[in-house]
Amino acid sequence: MNNDTILNIDSIRKSFVRNIVNVRGKDEDERFFLLEDIDLLVSKGKVTALIGGNGTGKTTLFNIISGFFNADEGKISFMSYGKHVELTGINAYKIARLGIGRMFQDNHIFQNMSVLENMLIADDKFFGERPFESILFYKINNTIEKQRKEKAEKIFAELFGDNNPFLKMKNEKAKNLSYGQQRLLGLARLLMGDYKLLLLDEPTSGVNPLVVEKIKELIKYFVEQKELTIFLIEHNMNFVLDVADFCHFMSKGIIAMGGTPEDIIGNPEVRKAYLGI
Amino acid sequence: MINIYIILTTSTNLLVGMTNLLSLGQAALYGIGAYLAVLALMALHLSLLPTLIFVILGTSLLSLLVAYPSLRLRGDYFVLATLGFQLIVFTILYNWVSVTKGPYGIPGIPSLVLFGDIIISGIIPYLILSSIFAIGVIIIFYKLIHSPFGRALKAVRDDELSAQAIGRNVTALKIWAFVVSSGFIGISGLLYASYVSYIDPTSFNLDEAIFILSAVIIGGTGNIKGPIVGAVFVVVLPELLRFVGLPDSVAANLRQIIYGLMIIILMRLRPQGLAGEYALK
Ligand SMILES: Nc1ncnc2c1ncn2[C@@H]1O[C@H](COP(=O)(O)OP(=O)(O)OP(=O)(O)O)[C@@H](O)[C@H]1O
Ligand SMILES: [Mg+2]
Repeated sequence: MNNDTILNIDSIRKSFVRNIVNVRGKDEDERFFLLEDIDLLVSKGKVTALIGGNGTGKTTLFNIISGFFNADEGKISFMSYGKHVELTGINAYKIARLGIGRMFQDNHIFQNMSVLENMLIADDKFFGERPFESILFYKINNTIEKQRKEKAEKIFAELFGDNNPFLKMKNEKAKNLSYGQQRLLGLARLLMGDYKLLLLDEPTSGVNPLVVEKIKELIKYFVEQKELTIFLIEHNMNFVLDVADFCHFMSKGIIAMGGTPEDIIGNPEVRKAYLGI
Repeated sequence: MINIYIILTTSTNLLVGMTNLLSLGQAALYGIGAYLAVLALMALHLSLLPTLIFVILGTSLLSLLVAYPSLRLRGDYFVLATLGFQLIVFTILYNWVSVTKGPYGIPGIPSLVLFGDIIISGIIPYLILSSIFAIGVIIIFYKLIHSPFGRALKAVRDDELSAQAIGRNVTALKIWAFVVSSGFIGISGLLYASYVSYIDPTSFNLDEAIFILSAVIIGGTGNIKGPIVGAVFVVVLPELLRFVGLPDSVAANLRQIIYGLMIIILMRLRPQGLAGEYALK
């Protein structure tokens, strides 16, 4: 792993068991490899896109990186705050603490918590989250809570300008936000943590073109101003062409092709296999 | 009794309402608190403060026995594990006659000694003491719910996956919620034992566990008001039925029916309970 690489995915294999009806009409469990052999490097400070047909296993790969699934074989190493770490077998919450942030394909923000609480809970300082800590050390706790709030409001103002809907709706439950706003909140929340790498699973899915433009802008801001590395899954090819530095095409359990977005998306094989044109 | 139930429901709320963990073992913990109090008062002759600390720590530690293995597993194992815990604790209290006197119960539990020779006995001093405890527990839980700890529990309740993705240790938070809630449940055991001065295992059986959970669900969860309303409701309703002049045998059954109906109707019309904030899933 050289110095420009932040994430090294090495020969990852992942199988699932599926229940099928066999030729004799009986139920049968069958093991199949969704990910046959995935090799992929993510470069530090760049935007890397992963494309591929529905159900090819892109989200599954993200789940393995985040620690929600274990791979059958292979290993993933990550450059965490200047140190090499093997991610294999580490709990999801610890992987987040190593500096990998995640945005899910379906929003997964905290629906019954307020917009502001969604930000505060994502802070990289955990003080007060042990029971009684906030009561015993209420002075420190108050200071930290105040800092958290300022940090959250500053992020909102930086990303969405003064007088933005998030500041206005900060005390409303997150479920009252529109779908697009929830996605933007999911992105904003990532800045509360001290992440080095962000995994974004289809950030533009289900949002209107205006929000797509906003997300483009945010991704550029994350990379250029916050020195973050971004690894994203997308089906929106124009979006990939606009934001990504590198693009990988996943098909039949392997990374079939990698290169610049223009090369990959322009490639006749990709167009035939994936886009159907 | 109302103060005892307020402590029971307020503590249970941390689990059910804040963390979305349904426990059927609350009566077992209540019983453990009561029997530990008896141990402290009758065998060790402790005064109030040491007894209190002994009961809180003892109940919390014993609750770890069920929390640690079951909360590391996914999903509904926890409900089953607490049910198992409830049944096991009851069986032990009932059958370990040499220590707990089993079904004969333990009579003559002494009054609490505040310090020196200041003894708390009689209805009024008890009312004052239990009110102080109930208010104390309410204040502590209010603080906890509105602290970063409470916020982290809410996050776990809303979306475990997401909570992990932002680096929160979901298992540890659930174990904490259970252990803290259990410690405070112990206090109601202590108050009960010294108030009625006689305990036997039947006060802490599965019926009681379901009763506590019903009170929490009827009152509502997720905030401070809900569990208090629930506790008041389940304690006042029987008195009300007696006041209306129903014979005890009818009233007892009618009470059960009313609780059952209340839960069904509330689930349909007001899933957050009478005064709660969080709609149980
Ligand atoms: N827990 C699981 N058990 C069994 N099979 C699973 C499991 N998780 C995922 N799969 C399999 O993985 C496939 C989907 O993988 P995944 O969600 O990674 O696809 P994707 O590339 O992200 O697709 P999309 O573009 O539609 O989001 C499903 O078809 C399913 O067969
Ligand atoms: Mg997917």
